[in-house]
Amino acid sequence: MSSNGTRPRIAVFKFASCDGCQLSLLDAEDELLAVAEAVEIAYFPEASRRMAKGPYDIALVEGSITTHHDAEAIQRIRRQAKTLVTIGACATAGGIQALRNWHDTAEWVRLVYAKPDFISTLKTSTPIAEHVPVDLELRGCPINKHQLIELISATLAGRKPNIPTYSLCLECKRRGNTCIMVAGGVPCLGPATQAGCGAICPSMNRGCYGCFGPMENSNAHSLASQFRVLGCARDEVERAFRSYNGWAWPFRRVFEEVPRS
Amino acid sequence: MGQTIRIHHVTRIEGHARIDIHLDEAGKVRSTQFHVTQVRGFEKFTEGRPYYEMPAITARICGICPVSHLLASAKACDAVMAVQIPEAARLLRELLHCAQFVQSHALSFFYLSAPDLLLGFDSDPAARNVLGLIEKHPEAARDGIALRRFGQQTIERLAGERVHPAWVVPGGVNKAMSVDTRDLILSDLPLAHSIIRRTLRLFKSMLDQFPAESEVFGNMPTLHAGLVDADGRLQIYDGMVRFIDSAGKTAGRITRPREYAKWIGEAAMPDSYLKAPYFKPLGYPEGIYRVGPLARLNVAESCGTSDADRELLEYRQRLGRVVNGSFFYHYARLIEALYAIERMEELLHLPEILDKHVRAEAGVNSLEGVGIIEAPRGVLIHHYRVNEQGAITGANLIVATGHNNLAINHSVQQVAERFVDGMKLQEGALNRVNAVVRAYDPCLSCSTHAFGKPAYRLRLVGAGGEVIEET
Repeated sequence: MSSNGTRPRIAVFKFASCDGCQLSLLDAEDELLAVAEAVEIAYFPEASRRMAKGPYDIALVEGSITTHHDAEAIQRIRRQAKTLVTIGACATAGGIQALRNWHDTAEWVRLVYAKPDFISTLKTSTPIAEHVPVDLELRGCPINKHQLIELISATLAGRKPNIPTYSLCLECKRRGNTCIMVAGGVPCLGPATQAGCGAICPSMNRGCYGCFGPMENSNAHSLASQFRVLGCARDEVERAFRSYNGWAWPFRRVFEEVPRS
Repeated sequence: MGQTIRIHHVTRIEGHARIDIHLDEAGKVRSTQFHVTQVRGFEKFTEGRPYYEMPAITARICGICPVSHLLASAKACDAVMAVQIPEAARLLRELLHCAQFVQSHALSFFYLSAPDLLLGFDSDPAARNVLGLIEKHPEAARDGIALRRFGQQTIERLAGERVHPAWVVPGGVNKAMSVDTRDLILSDLPLAHSIIRRTLRLFKSMLDQFPAESEVFGNMPTLHAGLVDADGRLQIYDGMVRFIDSAGKTAGRITRPREYAKWIGEAAMPDSYLKAPYFKPLGYPEGIYRVGPLARLNVAESCGTSDADRELLEYRQRLGRVVNGSFFYHYARLIEALYAIERMEELLHLPEILDKHVRAEAGVNSLEGVGIIEAPRGVLIHHYRVNEQGAITGANLIVATGHNNLAINHSVQQVAERFVDGMKLQEGALNRVNAVVRAYDPCLSCSTHAFGKPAYRLRLVGAGGEVIEET
């Protein structure tokens, strides 16, 4: 896999985020030693002072783009990365901080900071793919560490990673849960959300809140209508879709496109 | 011409930040500044969201200790609902929190700081990380991995997920603990207990190797703040915030969470995203105080569990009743991990913890709520204002790294004065500047919740303001 016959080189980069996704790599305790043997961790500031220069075989990118510096840095990273993988809701959809995209960021900065001119922040929090081409993405807030290990192994082996793109409902059914939306009338984003977490919230009698973002070809419009049928006010429906993956287009378009008659 | 050393990306900490070291004409350190350079805006973009969404949203501030934000937020929501949560829920939340202390302290000690302590501050930076540790000290590395896994697995067993779990809710938790889960956690405790005992022995055997670090790693008189119960015992989930001075005398007490603003002021630093809280009665900047493991053990009279209290006694025999050197955060952190493991055992043996009543239901009964807990890094405060419909109209979050902001700045200066000589930039010196920051185990994801992006970087700035070197 590596160009010069040595161990493949992996780098981990972070933009605006909570660190939770890259920590999933350290969380993979049992696999950590095997991964460490199979690859060279060339850049991982959270774990090491060593910062080796590119090119990298795999660049894992966590976080969203929120500053001018970020917007430049991601271009440099793209040039040095053979395979660029975005990990987590911030990198793939802008994350929870993308809620600011619907507000006046400049006004907040003035309200919060004594010398706002020091703060060079962009008006929006945007996913990596709005700035550079992305080869693979791992969803989730946070990502699933087994999916991360699968993705690294698959990339090293030169095959397509086996990551589900179907809806959360399949995982929920497999756990034998009674549908909380059908039977309990609880609004649940599961039908429009990509599987990956193992249906944690519905298993605890809570509606899914979409940590893994929109599934492939999700019918979010129809789900939003169903929330109205269940008695949610329009702004409640809007808030349900506008959370960790709210900036992802399939969720965003529900409220930004002209509603179908 | 003077110079500025700039450390970009302080490494092996959670999040990022930058340190500037300003030199005078002779190349001596004139001043230093610790900057946090990113903000994310949680306090503003949560306005209008219903209060009951806050635990899940604010957990996203930080992937290292999401449980802290979950709990502080849930407590603030309990206050908005004006409910007393069921006893089992209180015990389960504390149990979850103990598990988080173990995993977070294990991460800080083994993954982030042990490479310096066991491999040496001046060792090859290419191997000075957890992988280098696996090679040179496989037994310690295995212990670290196993201890963190124990904490994370317990969180997963209780709450369904390791990062951002959805189990803690306003009014309690949303699922009782099964007997099977209790027994599983109990069966793992002896291993965790023996690992932490072994690690404490290892750390104590190395203490003499770091005379310079003990002396200048933020060794200074400041106030200390932490949660204690009515008998002065260490608390991490509930209690009152006690402030003591550097000699151990009580300086103040926050007995009612809603009165925190009477005691804590927040100053805006000119060029950092991170605000600097200070102890109000003394003003800014004299009201500098520290939080976290070192401060908690200074503030508490005892831990309240037998093995941890034995270790605490020895710690005080070695270092004194009030320990003012920030190098000893590491030592205090290990004693706290031992306390958390012992406390988990106590909690799991309480019959009430299996009770099926785990959640109080209520609507808005108070338009303001404050929740205070001890995050692994120190006191964490969530303060919400809501309208009659329960929508957030204002939020203020004071995170542990914020409380420590002034102390970290002073510590960086102390270390830089001792180890950095502008004429020759030594790797070991730069690493020590990094390492003193790591001693506080700062969480910059948390501290930048307000808006933007952190990255620890180091910058050497000349007397004329020019940047001489950046890393």
